[in-house]
Amino acid sequence: MADDPSRRLGQEALDLLQAIALRGEVARRLETESTLAVLRSVVEATVALFEAEAASIALYDAAADRLVFEVAAGEQGQGVIGVAIRPDEGIAGYVFTSGQALALSDVASDPRFGRTVAEKTAYVPRSIVAVPLVDDLGTMGVLEVLDKRSQAAFSLRDIELAGVFARQATVAIRASRVERDLGSLLRATLHDQSKASGAPSQGALDELVRAGTERLDREDDSRLWALVEQVARIRGSDPDRLELVTDLLGAIARQGERDARARRRGRSGAPARRADP
Amino acid sequence: MTEDYLPAWSEPFVGDRRERLVRLVPIAGMNREMALGGVDGAGVTVAIVDSGVERDHPAVGGKLVRSVRVEPGDEDPVVVDDPEAIDVVGHGTACAGIIHGLAPGADLMSVRVLGPDNRGKGAIFAAGLEWAIAQGATVVNLSLSSKSDALFGVFHEIADAAYFANVLLVSAANNVPGPSYPSLFSSVVSVAAHDVADRWTWFYNPQPPVEFGAYGVDVEVAWKDGGRMIATGNSFAAPHVAGLAALIRSKHPGATPFEVKAILAAVSDGARPGG
Repeated sequence: MADDPSRRLGQEALDLLQAIALRGEVARRLETESTLAVLRSVVEATVALFEAEAASIALYDAAADRLVFEVAAGEQGQGVIGVAIRPDEGIAGYVFTSGQALALSDVASDPRFGRTVAEKTAYVPRSIVAVPLVDDLGTMGVLEVLDKRSQAAFSLRDIELAGVFARQATVAIRASRVERDLGSLLRATLHDQSKASGAPSQGALDELVRAGTERLDREDDSRLWALVEQVARIRGSDPDRLELVTDLLGAIARQGERDARARRRGRSGAPARRADP
Repeated sequence: MTEDYLPAWSEPFVGDRRERLVRLVPIAGMNREMALGGVDGAGVTVAIVDSGVERDHPAVGGKLVRSVRVEPGDEDPVVVDDPEAIDVVGHGTACAGIIHGLAPGADLMSVRVLGPDNRGKGAIFAAGLEWAIAQGATVVNLSLSSKSDALFGVFHEIADAAYFANVLLVSAANNVPGPSYPSLFSSVVSVAAHDVADRWTWFYNPQPPVEFGAYGVDVEVAWKDGGRMIATGNSFAAPHVAGLAALIRSKHPGATPFEVKAILAAVSDGARPGG
């Protein structure tokens, strides 16, 4: 029944589903750094072109239901990285939820403006332009530019120019993101697969997706994710170092396989080879 | 550098480009005095579908007669009274202040579709808009839009229903790639910003989809908690046209959305009397 998706799908297919989910998740985690690098270059270009004090990109994290500032550039920008706000909070929240670009100035004269974010970053801007990161699939975040050094306010032209940078960021995210939401990927795949044999109910699909992705949340996999994150970090290293790490991992893996074989022999009664004292 | 690939809806209304908007209008004899002179918007209700409107803000002039918010509900979104009349961002109050500044006699109605309880979802926006139309608002200001393909048909139906129910929808154009609704439907009045610092200056652009340009650059607007702000964006241009439309409907209560649009075009800056 609903408690046993393997009955509906077959154990083999369920294993396959879980393997796909695991590989997808590994790929997603490996991609994070390269996506951030592109976004970083977008905000750096934005700061340079606008001669602004700061520029930042906040992305919507659906699981946490928060807009999270992922990258920033400019002298006054760094404090905002990691700040998470409600998706309806402040100017970034308004632009995210309404999809409407806007520019505001005289911001500092009103201490109530953007209090929440300003308090978290210790920088209160005088002026701000905020545009949504949006494409045909939806709105995924907001690009903000703070305080143009040459002018007190942003012009209509500035909003449109910020829109160009926002589009670059949007394309980069879509192109480099393997698949952010594995749940919807699996749901779509299963839905397509099952069309021929009569579409199952939404509840049945949800159950299968849950079964396919549940092992991603298992606590005992936390070490695996730590490893994946380390691998992601060394991706950009020089070839010699990558080769060294690959050899080391290979040696450790071979040793692990030998140990596992030895344990199996031990359990089956065959004499286990003992390490020399 | 950017002109080639921008959906720059404001482009026709900025700088030298405006000269191209000078044209002969086929409605002879109409002028601003006939269109909206001597009225203050009395008898007209303007709904503001946005982030809420602060009832006590001085810029609203005590004209907020009703305030509701849309909640997700168990199955379909539900509209509930919002007696506190708060604005979660400041944006809706900015729109209300602009409309009140042009049409001080008009009643204002706030439909809050953005906020902690709804996250600005398209279905909630649609429900709020439907409610405003059912309440008989004469003009509805929409400084937001939806990009959801799934809601294309829903918004199309609502926009047509408004048109047939004699409700004028004024919608801010959205400078994002791909379509956004309902700002690109022909049954609404779609507005982008110009940079002439005068709220009584507006232009008609005979090249759809964005037909009107209104003041939307460095506008001093009302904001959250009784504050004020200098703001730029199409979403501050739309309420200027909503205010002007309120005046026209106040002076000509029998005018339909089609006629209000024609009058707005006929007496726009750049319009020259002709055959």
